[in-house]
Amino acid sequence: MPETEVEDLLRQLAPQVLGAVVRRYGHFEQAEDATQEALIAAAAQWPDEGLPDHPRGWLITVASRRLTDLLRADQARQRREDTVARWVLPDHWLAPAADRPPADHDDTLILLFMCCHPALTPASQIALTLRAVGGLATAEIARAFLVPEETMTRRISRAKQQIKVSAVPFRMPAGEERAGRLAAVLHVLYLIFTEGYASTSGPSLHRTELAAEAIRLARLVHRLLPEDGEVTGLLALMLLTDARRPARTGPGGELILMAEQDRNLWNAAQIAEGVDLVTTALARGPAGPYQLQAAIAAVHDEAPTADATDWPQIMALYELLMRLSDNPVVRLNHAVAVAMVRGPRAGLDLLAGLGADERMRQDHRLPAVSGHLLEMAGERDAARAAYLAAAQRTSNLPQQRYLHARAARLTGDR
Amino acid sequence: MKYMILVYGSQQDYDSMAGKAAGGKPAWSAADFAAMGAFMEGFNKDLAESGELVDTRGLTAPVHTRRIQLRNDVPVVTDGPYAESQEVLAGYWIVDCDSFDRATEIAARLSRIPGPRQIGEHEVIDVRPIAESRDELDV
Repeated sequence: MPETEVEDLLRQLAPQVLGAVVRRYGHFEQAEDATQEALIAAAAQWPDEGLPDHPRGWLITVASRRLTDLLRADQARQRREDTVARWVLPDHWLAPAADRPPADHDDTLILLFMCCHPALTPASQIALTLRAVGGLATAEIARAFLVPEETMTRRISRAKQQIKVSAVPFRMPAGEERAGRLAAVLHVLYLIFTEGYASTSGPSLHRTELAAEAIRLARLVHRLLPEDGEVTGLLALMLLTDARRPARTGPGGELILMAEQDRNLWNAAQIAEGVDLVTTALARGPAGPYQLQAAIAAVHDEAPTADATDWPQIMALYELLMRLSDNPVVRLNHAVAVAMVRGPRAGLDLLAGLGADERMRQDHRLPAVSGHLLEMAGERDAARAAYLAAAQRTSNLPQQRYLHARAARLTGDR
Repeated sequence: MKYMILVYGSQQDYDSMAGKAAGGKPAWSAADFAAMGAFMEGFNKDLAESGELVDTRGLTAPVHTRRIQLRNDVPVVTDGPYAESQEVLAGYWIVDCDSFDRATEIAARLSRIPGPRQIGEHEVIDVRPIAESRDELDV
């Protein structure tokens, strides 16, 4: 069996194996290490020796054996140091479980909920999700986030420690809590996607593996919760955004604005799938933020040329989005849509209000958008100053180069 | 009448059975392990055929034990409370038979389990009558 197929299979089995081992033996922390080792053993053996009859069972057996070894080593050390691994039972374990939710045997989803536990920082949630659910090795995650492997190893083990300390039971959160936790999961997937789509630092603007992994995980959640509008919305948003990736950078890696992209390069199949998904979700009921963002992306993607963009519709969708959340980036995008519908002045007026927002003070996007609108309004000097100010605020090289180029265009002839 | 037959093993016994020499106990070979499997199958089959077998289970390695104890009136869990060499319950049979002697006869067959680790003097098999109701306990 070719190596890539083995890898795909292993990534798919990873959460199922970890879920089965944790469900049976507990010890999420060591079980996660044991599963990784089983995956590594399989990746080394299967391409040459062929698949075992029951790949999933094989992995669970190997991981369970490895877990036993890891636990023994831990327990021997604890006895040597005369410390005992003790933990206090959560109160609710002592009461009869009257409202026990129906058994949900989808371990993948439970694992996602665990990895995105609110006790963890977003950076830890992301790292742990990629490893425990995505089946990525620590080295791969470290590479994707441009940090040394040591740093990522520490981040992951700290995250697992926190999960242990907070005594998260291995089961599906119920009721209200479940909704909140699902929102956290979606947010983490969204962060993984954006990290891949537009990295915050480094020489390359997008690290496509991360975006692809975020899409794979979003597909997984969508398969598990097909009725959830926001899950569908998030998957659609990712597909519709990622569809533009081939046109987003030039041959030298430079950033190309959507208005100037070669739309023939957009991924038509991905757009069709994304539009389909968001249409289904919107028809079903009240639209959440991911569905609205997906709808906006769909309006962009369906315009045959930049001039043909349905800006009034985009403006209306941003207004709906603003009602759901007070997010300065949404207000910024809304201002752009307003400028496209009512002229640059109307947009600039809205930006003036945003400058006071503490959250936007260090962000390069506000002066970058100002630059564009000022340029549209014919105010070349002010536009140039805004582009340069924006370039100073970003650490992303392609973005810096793009902004400097825009500024340079305005220094020449009038 | 129901009886419980209990067999014991330490973490080291589990290790040697898994093919790792531990605590002076030799590692089981594949042949040893197969012979033990065949013995157990035959043993259980005989009990099933005589209608005496109610249930039988083996337990996973002692390392996977969780122990719950009160500490300052709070239930506290200890992971892996046993020492490596400590003999703990490893498996059981519940048999339904005519007499304690018959149950003992069944249990005695277990002392012939093949393998490099013969049931030595420190290794024991227990047989205990099962109480059918609280009344029997109140004697």
